Amino acid sequence: MAGGGAGAAVLFQACGVPEHELFVESSNEIPEDLVSGLDNWYATICRQCSSTEGIVVRVMEGRAKKIEGNVDFPINEGAHSVRCDAGVQALYHPDRIAAPLVRVGERGSGRWEEISWTDAMERVALQLRNLSNANRAVMVTPPMRSYSGLVADRFMARFGGQYLRYEPLETTNVRRAVKQVFGQDRMPDFDLGNSSFVLSFGADFLNTWMSPVRYGRGYGRFRQGDRERGTMIHVDSRFSMTGANADEIVFIKPGQEGILALSIASVIIDEGLGNASAVSALTNGGRIDMSRFAPDRVASAVGVDAARIRDIAHQFAEHGTALAIGGGSAAAHTNGYFNMVAIYSLNYLVGSVGREGGVNFNPASPLKDIPTGASFSQWRQLVTRMRSREVGVLMVKGADPMYALPGSIGFREASFDVPFIFSFSNSLDDTTAMADLVLPEHNYLEDWDIVDPDPGPGYQSVGFQQPVVRPFFESRGQHLGTKGFADALMGIAGELELDLGLPSTFRELLQDGARTLFNLNRGSVRASDFRAFWNGALQRGGWWDTGARGGNRPTPPALPANVGQAPSFDGNGTFNLIPFASTSLMEGQTADLPWLQATPDPVSTATWRTWVEINIKVADDMDIREGDVVRITSGFGGPDVEPGEGVLALAYPHPGVPPDVVCVPLGQGRRGSGRYAKGRGGNIMSILSPGADRETGALAWASTRVRIEKTGDWVRLPKAENTNPDLATDEGQHIVKITPKDS
Amino acid sequence: MAELKQTQQRQWGMVIDLDKCTGCQACVVACQSENNIPINEEAHYNQRRAIQWIRVERYWEGEFPDIKARFMPVLCQHCDNAPCEPVCPVYATYHNTEGLNVQVYNRCVGTRFCANNCPYHARFFNFWEPAWPNSLKNQLNPDVTVRSRGIMEKCTFCVQRIARVKRKAKNEGETVNDGDRALSPACVNACPTETLFFGDFKDPNSTVAKMKDKETHGGRGYHLLEEIGTDTNVVYLKKVDKHAEAKEEVHA
Amino acid sequence: MLPGDFQPSRPTNKQLIKWGILSLVSLFFVAVVVGVLMFVISAWLGKPLSVFGYDEGPDQPIAFPHTRHVQELGLDCTFCHRNVETGAAATIPPVGLCMTCHAVAGDGLAEVEKLREVAAAGEAIDWVRVHRVPDFVRFNHSAHIIFFSEQDNILSSEVCAVCHGDVGSMVKVEQARYLKMADCVNCHRDNNAPTDCVTCHY
Repeated sequence: MAGGGAGAAVLFQACGVPEHELFVESSNEIPEDLVSGLDNWYATICRQCSSTEGIVVRVMEGRAKKIEGNVDFPINEGAHSVRCDAGVQALYHPDRIAAPLVRVGERGSGRWEEISWTDAMERVALQLRNLSNANRAVMVTPPMRSYSGLVADRFMARFGGQYLRYEPLETTNVRRAVKQVFGQDRMPDFDLGNSSFVLSFGADFLNTWMSPVRYGRGYGRFRQGDRERGTMIHVDSRFSMTGANADEIVFIKPGQEGILALSIASVIIDEGLGNASAVSALTNGGRIDMSRFAPDRVASAVGVDAARIRDIAHQFAEHGTALAIGGGSAAAHTNGYFNMVAIYSLNYLVGSVGREGGVNFNPASPLKDIPTGASFSQWRQLVTRMRSREVGVLMVKGADPMYALPGSIGFREASFDVPFIFSFSNSLDDTTAMADLVLPEHNYLEDWDIVDPDPGPGYQSVGFQQPVVRPFFESRGQHLGTKGFADALMGIAGELELDLGLPSTFRELLQDGARTLFNLNRGSVRASDFRAFWNGALQRGGWWDTGARGGNRPTPPALPANVGQAPSFDGNGTFNLIPFASTSLMEGQTADLPWLQATPDPVSTATWRTWVEINIKVADDMDIREGDVVRITSGFGGPDVEPGEGVLALAYPHPGVPPDVVCVPLGQGRRGSGRYAKGRGGNIMSILSPGADRETGALAWASTRVRIEKTGDWVRLPKAENTNPDLATDEGQHIVKITPKDS
Repeated sequence: MAELKQTQQRQWGMVIDLDKCTGCQACVVACQSENNIPINEEAHYNQRRAIQWIRVERYWEGEFPDIKARFMPVLCQHCDNAPCEPVCPVYATYHNTEGLNVQVYNRCVGTRFCANNCPYHARFFNFWEPAWPNSLKNQLNPDVTVRSRGIMEKCTFCVQRIARVKRKAKNEGETVNDGDRALSPACVNACPTETLFFGDFKDPNSTVAKMKDKETHGGRGYHLLEEIGTDTNVVYLKKVDKHAEAKEEVHA
Repeated sequence: MLPGDFQPSRPTNKQLIKWGILSLVSLFFVAVVVGVLMFVISAWLGKPLSVFGYDEGPDQPIAFPHTRHVQELGLDCTFCHRNVETGAAATIPPVGLCMTCHAVAGDGLAEVEKLREVAAAGEAIDWVRVHRVPDFVRFNHSAHIIFFSEQDNILSSEVCAVCHGDVGSMVKVEQARYLKMADCVNCHRDNNAPTDCVTCHY
């Protein structure tokens, strides 16, 4: 490996004479990717965000240089998102943790000391062994549909502790509605590419929601494919990037999306435009009175003209294959679950379930072991348990609840009542900064895994993640450096003499999984012997079988009796606060990568800061200009954010925001982080009201009302807009040309 | 110019379908990653000196609630009549035999005349020595020169990829294939919606040549700032909006 | 004597000696400056002048004699520089390759003992670079080797001498050709190779 770093050094010295540049060795003893000038592309899986995308990584001289999409992989078909590309910056981040760290100062003081892995594992084992009751151990991870998820699941099950999965902007309501309407445990696939009409509610699916690259692939074909150009109507209470790309954007009062969907359904039912059996099933044979949702009755409540509702209903029912998608802020109200049930039920009315261009169910994974269970929404109970000192050890991996849980839940404060916190993480985040012990894990480009994509492509598919480079901190020896999460957890289980019922190493576990696929003898990789299969699957980045499709549920269940309830809001202001996942920083997971900090938001083009989008006319009335520092208060806060103090953000007035709404991106305002994100911007989650969905208990993160005040300060908003002067055009000439007809 | 065009063997170019662009920025970061572009810090944006070889412009249209945002990726148009070329006192920017508008870093003396003269604002000046923390330098692409302070830079259509593919084809006695992903610029490969197409306009069977032929004759094709006669090698396809019937073309 | 009429007075002998010394000293300085300039300019345009040993190659950590290996043992260039036909870099062989022979060969030689020490410690040899092109130049060995070996129908190892001179006869490797841009471009012209800037600069 000596050749790698030194060899690369030759090439990035713009001036000055590099030293030690001739450590480059020849190809007969070192791997071919270390030879100067030769590159190799290795297939693996991107783990930067929760959607599973196949990638290929260009490796030269032992260093990862560039990430591109894997053309073969069914989810993304060669394309990738902004987040994928920045994976190399996560790998080579200057603030990566290079050895296990133990806290030496006060908790959260940020003073650490390096210890050896042996010592660290012993300390963890000791803490776990000394618990008076096994259920005093709690583990928090993001939802992991992978073999490392299986190890975590098995570890907590055998140990007897509580295992919580955490995602900042909960999708519980969407998933529960999918279960209710379609009877599916997995998200279905939306076949945008073959659809002729898309009606979406709140979901920013081209940008950040669920599997944006897959939807983007479909969207390209939906617009200019082999078929007639599709039409898209987007219903939202904010101007999202997806809304910007719709043919029509319908602004709706926050939380009323379900009522609008039912109103559309009532028109379809009333005028006999829909599928008769679905109508009968949905209305429970006519026993559910849909007339109360007639456009004229609900128009003022939802804020959409009755005529327009009828028009949308007609368009939806009269296009060949229509698709209704809901999520995002529409699912994040106290009635979010009902909104989702109403929206997804629309697909049945036009017969779009289980057909080309519609909603296609994903089959169960061929790997039965991969955990699918989700247990969100138990944060309040956990905080109560922490406060009453019922939690002895808190284990965190890849989740950052201290950053993204509403401050009013008081998770961070309660964590002081937990005697021991340890975090598997390769960089500092808010939760890791509060840990007593940090176990640095490999970057995903250095680690193995087998991943079950969710949402899948409509057929069985499995992603193979392999190390494309040797661990960056390998040179620190086996006692320091990083380790794979699953390996480390299996090591801890070994210390505790806990039988996980799994093979002794993670690699063997993965090979067992691969053997299951090999024995199926179908799909994209088939081989005469297992070794060939294993290599083939790694080379292609996964295994999939286009023939193994999901089932169908031909008729929907009846709408729940209390569907159509109104949302409720909390907070001291008049503006509805709609937080949204940032295009590049998502919910903060990738906030420390400089490329992503510098990536302009598609709509506002803002970078590096936290901004608040506000309607340009309202801002005018309030005398707010772009760059004015405004204080956003809701009356809520946590121990760290005084309710009156609120969150500071730079105003970005633009014409697309509804007058009664303000939108703030997530991702900034971190207290524990590397150099690029630390102390930057504000964290809007800290002032959210702790409102929850009435049915599912999921966090209603779009149900806070806030007040906006000018502080009198002004800071230039760093943005891409106007970084270059306007293109000079002659009169009558246009930059973006638009044509009404599709040629 | 016309004579040169006749004798050219290749003419690299791009087709950008505005009807598909969602503004997702994947192309922007892919370009940063491939071409060793310095990190655009907050101060760089504020001083309007951020470097983005490809950028996505966003134009507002209308008033709430009838509001639209239009996205358009803008990069060096590799003009056949490039306004940047004749003003360079040291011949650091010129048109090569494959239709590329080339910037020769080691010749550039940093007069910035070319950037002044570029109607597309596609040229960027290095006001600072590029800086990365040491560990991030491991990512830098060894095929692309790191531009030092005082040098003008711009989109190259990822010429390092073209060179690599051509060399490989020559060594192995093969031809350069249209649509080869190893040949396509990083932005084209990244795009989730297949908005961008790259290829050789001289090859009548290439995807881009066929699209250009079809779309510029009564179709959706147009060149950016066509009226100034730069004769660009990037063809834009108009955004489709059936509500735009009343006004044939909307000023964005 | 009329006012304004200039009548130089004859200098005294003392003055003559002073001026003589002054002019000699200035002449000497001018000669030194010209000498230095000639040296620098020639090094800028081509190779340093052959004085004070500046044209010689650098001392290497291990005095590796190419003469012994190439002329006497008849090893082919590509035996050690293995990547030259396939990649951008010709590559320096790893210590392991040296040790395939020197584990047994060359007992008692001081330089071989040095090599064995390095090999035993598992380190790499910090060779001093002899040929260097600036970092904005993309030189690719394989393209040149393949072109000349096909054009002249010769072995790959015979192509090396075009730029590197007869390394086989050098005890200490030195730069044989200027390898300045003019040198590259002239050769490209002579061989009908592309002279487009982006052939090498991107």
